Amino acid sequence: MNKVISKRLTFVVTILSLLIFIIIWQIIAQQGLLVKNFPGSFKTINALIWWVSDPFFDNGPNDLGIGFNLLISLRRVLIGYSLAVLVAIPLGVLMGMSKLAQSSLNPYVQLLKPVSPLAWLPVGLFVFRNSEITGIFVIFITSIWPTLINTAFGVASINPDYLRVSKSLGASKSITIRRVILPAIMPNILAGMRISMGTAWLVIVAAEMLLGTGIGYFIWNEWNNLSLENIFVAIIIIGFTGFILDQLFGFLQDKFDYSI
Amino acid sequence: MQKDSNSKKNSTHLELVKLGKIFFKEKKFFDLYSKHKKSSFEAIKNINLKIEKNTFVSIIGPSGCGKSTLLNLIAGLQSPTSGKIIIDGLSIKGPGPDRGVIFQNYALMPWLTTIQNIEFALNTVFPEKTKPDIKERAINYLRMVGLEKASNKFPKELSGGMKQRVAIARALSINPNMLLMDEPFGALDALTRSYLQEELLSIWRKNKVTVVLITHSIEEALLLSDKIILMSSGPSATISEEISVDLDRPRDRQNIEQDPKYLKIKMRLEKHLLRETRAVEEVT
Repeated sequence: MNKVISKRLTFVVTILSLLIFIIIWQIIAQQGLLVKNFPGSFKTINALIWWVSDPFFDNGPNDLGIGFNLLISLRRVLIGYSLAVLVAIPLGVLMGMSKLAQSSLNPYVQLLKPVSPLAWLPVGLFVFRNSEITGIFVIFITSIWPTLINTAFGVASINPDYLRVSKSLGASKSITIRRVILPAIMPNILAGMRISMGTAWLVIVAAEMLLGTGIGYFIWNEWNNLSLENIFVAIIIIGFTGFILDQLFGFLQDKFDYSI
Repeated sequence: MQKDSNSKKNSTHLELVKLGKIFFKEKKFFDLYSKHKKSSFEAIKNINLKIEKNTFVSIIGPSGCGKSTLLNLIAGLQSPTSGKIIIDGLSIKGPGPDRGVIFQNYALMPWLTTIQNIEFALNTVFPEKTKPDIKERAINYLRMVGLEKASNKFPKELSGGMKQRVAIARALSINPNMLLMDEPFGALDALTRSYLQEELLSIWRKNKVTVVLITHSIEEALLLSDKIILMSSGPSATISEEISVDLDRPRDRQNIEQDPKYLKIKMRLEKHLLRETRAVEEVT
């Protein structure tokens, strides 16, 4: 009973805070309190409705519907991210299982992990001579580290009881990896994949400002048009998409939560 | 050897010859520069033991005396530094399905249901068996421990006692002739523990298996065993005594405590454990 009321209450509070935010934004913009010509919330909402009501139009690369731009960004992220996961999980398992692999690969991981993935952009452009592949490459580099590190950590900290059971049954290495280690570290893998997805989605916007097309390029283009309200539209859509992607992993993590 | 009042076949099932295990500290990068000598730890040394077929043997000793190490060696999970482990006349090299192992923390895979946990063991040991065969066998063993209704539950939905029953079913499902148990009831409350002790006894009677049980409970050892192995305190623990428990079976939990023979052995065990525990506590 109590819970139902508090749930309803939080909903009301959320809506209320949103309304207050929109009103204050509008007042600040209208009065020119921040800077002149700063778009108000009404203008931004109108722009949002305009973009969302017709997301798929194509009048050339500089006038593309926001739906197309979003799909272009999502495609780059999904390809680069999937490739990264396909590399990161086996490599992480190897690093977690073998001291030799750990000590030979760890220096690269530790050195490359703190580098902004955008630093790889010129390298990608030079090697691939293609902005599409370069975008995917940058996302690949971005996504690989959190999944790799989490997977390796998961293997290294796996409950030794599971391995003992497997060993006592005389299970082969391949059975142990597929049927014991991988399921046991699923929570770690998913946690890593969630962080990877989050960073990939952050990085694609920045990368696309330099690459052309995609939601990041949309922002850059609207900056050249000095249309701040359209930039706000993009920010809202990027935020919402990122939220959905993150929730997807939240859902998966709940499914693979083994804790008692 | 001590005389065995049971009329069971007196062929040796397991023999330990001068068994020893030393754990060497792994060299870490900075140890190369450190002046300290690397430390190693001798858990057990010079263990000699013979266990007859289908007997119930308990190993008891103060904590940290290497009981679990000894069990891991017999299970083949670790390899000995010195000595031999001979099973049915053959020296063993590693783990095998002739030995079922039961751990204190149940060690059920949390991502598998109870029946899937047993099927995992069966699939691993009998890869040639068909799916329906394996399923039927798994259900039979779940039924044996009274848990066929919980077959589709996950371990986290089960109580500690139920989890350990699943672990027992899993260990037995591969049809081992030796059951190795490492303080299997240590984490359970007293009532569940006595219930599971009865279960274990009836399982042991029905299935022809040799049981090696690690325990720190004198009462448990006395109630269940044909023979009790007493270990000295570690490090470098070894066997100090072997005591035959020639009490009639079935043993009744209530009446057994009136038996003068029971009391005599119990006192001997208590004295030993107290002495060895004192040795441990005064060293540290």
